[in-house]
This record gives sequence, C-alpha cells and structure tokens, in this order.
Amino acid sequence: MKADAVRGHLDGLLLAVLEPGPLHGYAIIAAVQQRSEGALQLRTGTIYPALNRLERLGLLGSSWESVGERRRRCYRLTDAGRGSLESERTAWREFTAAIGSVLNPAATAPAPRPAS
Amino acid sequence: MSGTTDTSSGNGPSAPDPVAAHVAALSDALHGPGRAKSRMIQEIRDGLTDTVEAHTREGVPYERAARLAVREFGTPEELAPSCQRELTIAQTRRTALSVALTVPFLIACWHLIWTSGQDWQLQRTPQLVAVQLAAVAAVATLLAVAALAATGVLARRLRTPRRLPLAVAWAGTTACVAMVVAMVALTVVSPLTTNWPVVTVAGVVTALLHGLVASSARACRHCARLPVG
Repeated sequence: MKADAVRGHLDGLLLAVLEPGPLHGYAIIAAVQQRSEGALQLRTGTIYPALNRLERLGLLGSSWESVGERRRRCYRLTDAGRGSLESERTAWREFTAAIGSVLNPAATAPAPRPAS
Repeated sequence: MSGTTDTSSGNGPSAPDPVAAHVAALSDALHGPGRAKSRMIQEIRDGLTDTVEAHTREGVPYERAARLAVREFGTPEELAPSCQRELTIAQTRRTALSVALTVPFLIACWHLIWTSGQDWQLQRTPQLVAVQLAAVAAVATLLAVAALAATGVLARRLRTPRRLPLAVAWAGTTACVAMVVAMVALTVVSPLTTNWPVVTVAGVVTALLHGLVASSARACRHCARLPVG
C-alpha cells in the first residue's frame, strides 16, 4: 500500500500498535511493519512528528525510559487515546463496508429468493 | 553506531556518515523552540540508529545499513514539512502562552497603579493611552487563549487553521508594541506623580516582559513563514 494511502490512517495505526503497552519510536515502526507483514510503505521518519502531534492532542503520553543501553522516548496510550482508537475502528469498519458494497456488490447483496 | 564519521565503510575516513549527515541536514532545516526541536531530532536520531542496528544484525555492512535506514526514514526534504508543522505549533503555543500570562499581569499592574494615588488620577492623557493599550492587549490575550485551546485538546475535533501561527505571531508583536508604548508613557509620566518609584518598577517589569514576548513572537513569525506538511 502506497505511503499516500497510509498517511490518512497513520493516527489509527499508531494508536493501535500502542494498545497492548508502551513502546519507543523504533518499536512502534517495527510493530506497524510486523502487523502489516511489510505491506505498508511508510516513510518511517514521519511517525515522529505524528507521535508528537498525538501527544499534544492528549491521545498519547510519553516519558524517557531506559531501553537496553540507551534512554528512549516511550509512548503510551491515554484514556482519550483508547476512545479515539475505538472511533477510528468504527469509522474504518463503516468505510470498508461502504466501499466493499460498491466494489463487490455480490458479496453484500441479499441472497436471491428461489423461484416459486 | 552513534552517528559519527564511519571509518569502516571503505570510503576513507572523510566519508560522511549517512545518519549523521541526515540528522544534521534535518536539524538545519527545522526551526522552533529549542527543547521541542532537540527532542524531535534526538528521537529521529535514535530511530535511525535503531534501524541501522536492525540491518547490521541481519549481516548488512554498516555503510549499506545506514543508507537503507536513511532511505526508509525519508529524506530531510521529505520529513522537514511534517516535523516543522509540529515545531511551528509548539512555537505558536509558546508565544500564545507568553502573551496569555504576561499581558493580563501587566494590565493588572497598570490598573493598580492608575487607581492608587490621587496625583495619578490627574494625569488624564496617560489614562486614555492606558485604556486604549489595555483594550489592544486584551484582544491579543483573547486570541492567544483561543490559539492555546485550538492547538490543544480542541484540535481533536477542529482543524487547526493554517494561518493561526501567523495570527498569534502578530498578536504577540502587537502586544509587544502596546507594552513599549505603555512603558514610554509610564516613564514620561512617572516624574510628575508621587508614585514614581512604583511606576518606575512597573516600567522595568514591562521592559523585561516585552523582551520575553518579543523574542517569542519574532521566532513565531519566522516559523510561520516556513513550509509545513
């Protein structure tokens, strides 16, 4: 999936990979790549300003923590972030259902009635 | 792998390390509050270093791993607009906060001085100037408070206007001009009153706070002119 297509969903992706627990920047990148099995082409540097923005909006919290031999900025989901993630999921389900019903009408149309 | 010159690449000791060069180029391109900028640069440097380490663990030579990491991250030209957007908003919030805190404080100081002492009550012209300056400063303060809200939690629901940083920068500049005029008025009038020591202290405080807001507003104007993504 191209970077431009991913960009609109970046917030949801970042919130989702932080749902299980706090992660630092590179671990977030690795989690996104791992969950998508490398399908998402993303300029990984763009996640850092995105993380800053989500923190400013109160959806993430962060703190410097020792990870291995270095100190790294670790991000965690806030309660507001969990709420936002749920909203993102709902919006995504509705979006894919709507697009799916147009692209693949046979899969979503009700089964035809048997001829009497 | 600290982002210093790599001597193991075979290109000689003068070959620049791709990670260090990338971070330096990005740092040169970005402007904003020092702390916010250094934090962002530090995180990106850490991320690049981690990416290089991940590649070298898979057996990729350092020089190639560093080039791969830089390519995956995006060029400084690709990253700068989105990074600058956050730094511009950080500078906007800093300027708005400085206006929102200092201007009401100064208005309160002026009000106390103006309402204390009968000699002062006789100076009608400074009073008129003060009222007008207070009105201008109050408008600037309201804009600053609105900007803080619009770039904070409200930004979850409302799109931040693209011209907001410029508006806050000019609000800060306007507040600075009001401070300077007030300071001059206070300084000129103070010898004519019995309250001149208090007025002099207020003038000095005004000058100090003017310096604080003016530098922040100047930085905000500069950030507001930079391209953001």
